[in-house]
Amino acid sequence: MSRSLNMPGSRPPRTIWEAISPFRLIGELSETRYWMYLLLLPSALLITAVVLYPTVYGMQMSFREMRLNRPDLGNDWVLFKHYVRMINDPIFWVSLRNTAVWVTSSIVLEFLIGLIAALALNRDLPGTKLLAVLILLPYFLPNVVAGHMWALMLDPRMGVINDLLLKVGLLTEYKAWFADPTTAMAAAIIVEAWHSFPFFTLLIMAGLKGIPTDLYKAANIDGAGAFAQLRLITLPMLKTIIAAAVILRVIGLVNSPDLLLILTSGGPGRSTQVLSLYAFQMAYKDFNFGYAGALSVVMFVFLMLFAWAYVRLSKVNQE
Amino acid sequence: MTNISRRSLMKMGGALMAATALTPSLSFAQAASINYWHTFTSQSEQAGLDQVMALFKAAHPDIAVTPENIPNPEFMAKITAAVVSGSRPNVSMVSSERFRDLLAMGALTDISERVAGWERRADFDDARFASISLDGKIYGVPAFTFVDWMYYRKDWFEEAGIAVPTTLAELYDAAVKLTDPAKGRYGFGLRGGPGGQNPIINMMEAFGSPVLHADGTIGLDREKAIAGITYWSDMAKNAAPPSAANDGFRQIIEGFQTGQTAMIYHHTGSYQDIASKLKPGVEFGTMAIPAGPATRVARLAYAYNTITSDENADASWEWIKFWGEPDAAIAFLEKTGYFPASTTAAADPRITGNEMYKAAAETLGFGIPQPSFPGAAGWAESTVLQAFQRILIGEITPEQAVDEMIAGLAEATA
Amino acid sequence: MAQTRSGSKLLWDILSYAIMIVLAIICIGPIIWTFLTSIKVEEDIVTRDMVYFPTRFTFESYVKLWNQSSYPVLVMNSLVVTSLTVLICLLTGSIAAYSFSRFNFKGRTQLMLAYLVVRMFPAVLMIIPLFIVMRNIGLLDSTVGLAVAYTSFLLPLFVWMLKGFFDAAPKELESAARIDGSTRIGAMFRIVIPIARNGLVATCVFVAIAAWNEYLFALMLTTSQGSRTWPVGLQLMVGEFQLPWGMLAAGGMISILPVIILFAIVQRVMVAGITAGAVKG
Repeated sequence: MSRSLNMPGSRPPRTIWEAISPFRLIGELSETRYWMYLLLLPSALLITAVVLYPTVYGMQMSFREMRLNRPDLGNDWVLFKHYVRMINDPIFWVSLRNTAVWVTSSIVLEFLIGLIAALALNRDLPGTKLLAVLILLPYFLPNVVAGHMWALMLDPRMGVINDLLLKVGLLTEYKAWFADPTTAMAAAIIVEAWHSFPFFTLLIMAGLKGIPTDLYKAANIDGAGAFAQLRLITLPMLKTIIAAAVILRVIGLVNSPDLLLILTSGGPGRSTQVLSLYAFQMAYKDFNFGYAGALSVVMFVFLMLFAWAYVRLSKVNQE
Repeated sequence: MTNISRRSLMKMGGALMAATALTPSLSFAQAASINYWHTFTSQSEQAGLDQVMALFKAAHPDIAVTPENIPNPEFMAKITAAVVSGSRPNVSMVSSERFRDLLAMGALTDISERVAGWERRADFDDARFASISLDGKIYGVPAFTFVDWMYYRKDWFEEAGIAVPTTLAELYDAAVKLTDPAKGRYGFGLRGGPGGQNPIINMMEAFGSPVLHADGTIGLDREKAIAGITYWSDMAKNAAPPSAANDGFRQIIEGFQTGQTAMIYHHTGSYQDIASKLKPGVEFGTMAIPAGPATRVARLAYAYNTITSDENADASWEWIKFWGEPDAAIAFLEKTGYFPASTTAAADPRITGNEMYKAAAETLGFGIPQPSFPGAAGWAESTVLQAFQRILIGEITPEQAVDEMIAGLAEATA
Repeated sequence: MAQTRSGSKLLWDILSYAIMIVLAIICIGPIIWTFLTSIKVEEDIVTRDMVYFPTRFTFESYVKLWNQSSYPVLVMNSLVVTSLTVLICLLTGSIAAYSFSRFNFKGRTQLMLAYLVVRMFPAVLMIIPLFIVMRNIGLLDSTVGLAVAYTSFLLPLFVWMLKGFFDAAPKELESAARIDGSTRIGAMFRIVIPIARNGLVATCVFVAIAAWNEYLFALMLTTSQGSRTWPVGLQLMVGEFQLPWGMLAAGGMISILPVIILFAIVQRVMVAGITAGAVKG
């Protein structure tokens, strides 16, 4: 007993086959000091092989003159030229503000709806299974389809939502949601929340299943109410899952312009212009890869700061 | 730096390939096999391409054409990646507004000599090659033409007793007269959303401020540009549906089809779509773009086929010039509604005999190419359209919008 | 006391139902609308007099879609890419997540953030260099290449989410196994992974959905002759000079069908996992 406590898994091999068995070798390897790093190796290698070069390439572009349609300007290093331009670029600042609004509102909506849905579904009432599938359905729809279908439903001419709102008396005439700066952003956020809140629902649901029921029983005996239980048991137990979900969603929202591209293309005017859309347009409409690269680096830095601060504040890695 | 990392990556890649023991499934078996990148996506376009390919196959059984369709919005991204990484397609379809950007990237091959020796060269006006030539060198063969024109509700015009406008002033009056928000009717389906940049630029030019001057210099005349922009934004405010700032191609077509708007500005490519909903010659008619105070601006834009790789260039040449054969051009028109670029094909009775195409045939006489310089497309799409939308939502005045456009133009061409 | 408890339970049950039903309606409404659109004739879609229920049903959109898009090939490619992606993620990602969850080593937080860095640089600007990389290693236009590209971007998602689930699995059972002479790796496969099975399945579902619906890389890294996937094929249905609503809606319905089937299967496994895992603290 005491021997296996000291050196778990290292009993002597019984046969020669067992001595050279790969399972045994891996088993022994798993007892070394470097085991945790070895476990990381395959994924780290894969990521590095595929993504390192593109990322570094993208970053170095931001310090170069790189206008693909202007070879006469050359590809020289220009240091911080693009970053200086950014400071004086009103569209950059508008995009930054819009990005903040877009990401914060979407994430808050998605998280709240996702959490409420997961809590309700987790009660395992009869019929929940069917309702769960229905509630998760939006997430399965490709962005292209979700975007276009909402564009159709919100259409100022033949949109069913306009018609319904008219029928219940909330509107007096069809509204052009995406032609008005105030409603354009709001409508886009609602579409985004509709499409992605099941991400949180599914994750939180899976997390809830892992919380030992004894904890709630004990809390019940102590007379803790539902909100107290949520605050004192559920949320702390789901801490890392929620943190991971929030970080991943924030990155996704900041970086992918898909939905806005379909719904508004950044308009009307600049009212839904976000950084990712701006960088995309800079690169593939203006072919100014230098400036687009600089915009991307700024987004990258903001995301890094956010992730770092968030991990710190949410104490994900503290026991 | 780039080279070193690329080489080391290749080594890494070799190891990865050995590890997975997989080879890519590309085959370049046939010597005369070419791939063709294009942006045909709709069902009618696809049918037209199939038709042309079938004809080509009958004429050149030894050349295998592999078409590769790429959605228009991502076309430039994909071709940029292919050019930068040196894996270009043999032949690519290039619209006039993309010519200068792609040429600057070094994507296109000079085919002046081939064109000069081409037996069908005489079928094409010199002007057809204008938007694919620079400094006397030709880089492509026109495949078909987009002719700017307008669609109008013939029945509404007759009901209100309005004549078909021939000047922009008349156009404005007619549009305002036909606008009745209470009835859900608007005079003009103005495209203020995605793709709406071209009419905006055309209005500035019609009022006397072209982007590209006759001597090749680039610049806007502030006062005249403001007049053009004011005209167009007044049109949007007084005669267009409130959704104008977000109305793109789909919305203006649907607005016209469903009887919301009396007129729209587009090109011949949407004819089949409109005719599928409204009766040609009865419910709707077509008209040439009315003349502005300074000049009459209607664009003739071309889709060109270009050779983008030195490999199998002879086979590529056979394919791109085949689009100039009258049989191929007419077959394509019948499936899609796109106008032939060849003068011989355009003189075909199937076109001249159709009353609805009269406005297009007329426009071929006075139509002009789009302003073309590196960065033109980007400036039009991001700066011009955005500034115009900001007028529509009341953020800035036409004067401020023009100043923004001038500043953006200076930056794009700096 | 007991009565108030059951009284409040009833209240919560009613509230739960109310929430679930309202949400289900909001979620399913647009999808029902998509379905209705897919079986309407064009005249009932593009009209100013709202048509809620089709005047006549048609499956023409589905037929056209089927005939034009070589749907079986595209879906097959999508299936292969999705499965490969999930497989590579499982093989490399689950052990990484385990490492982050169970070992407190130097630089752990930094390394975890480093995994995230991969997703932080906007994908649109990585397209060109990524294209070059894929071309150089000869994986352009292959399902493997696409799966590798997806994996590199989905691994962070996989690892981070799975780490959360591993964290939630009690460590006591593992320690007990170690005391009984199990190696670390043995404990991982025999104890931790079975306990975190729900999380593992949920995570795989995410990776699968993300890979299934991905568009930009699929378009950039494949050609129609090679390994083009379904979302790209679907986008190509949506022409620039016409938007066939019926076909788009039909495409949407067709593309969620395999996901729903997968989910139905997975849900059963998930439920089984809950009972088998038997974590009661």
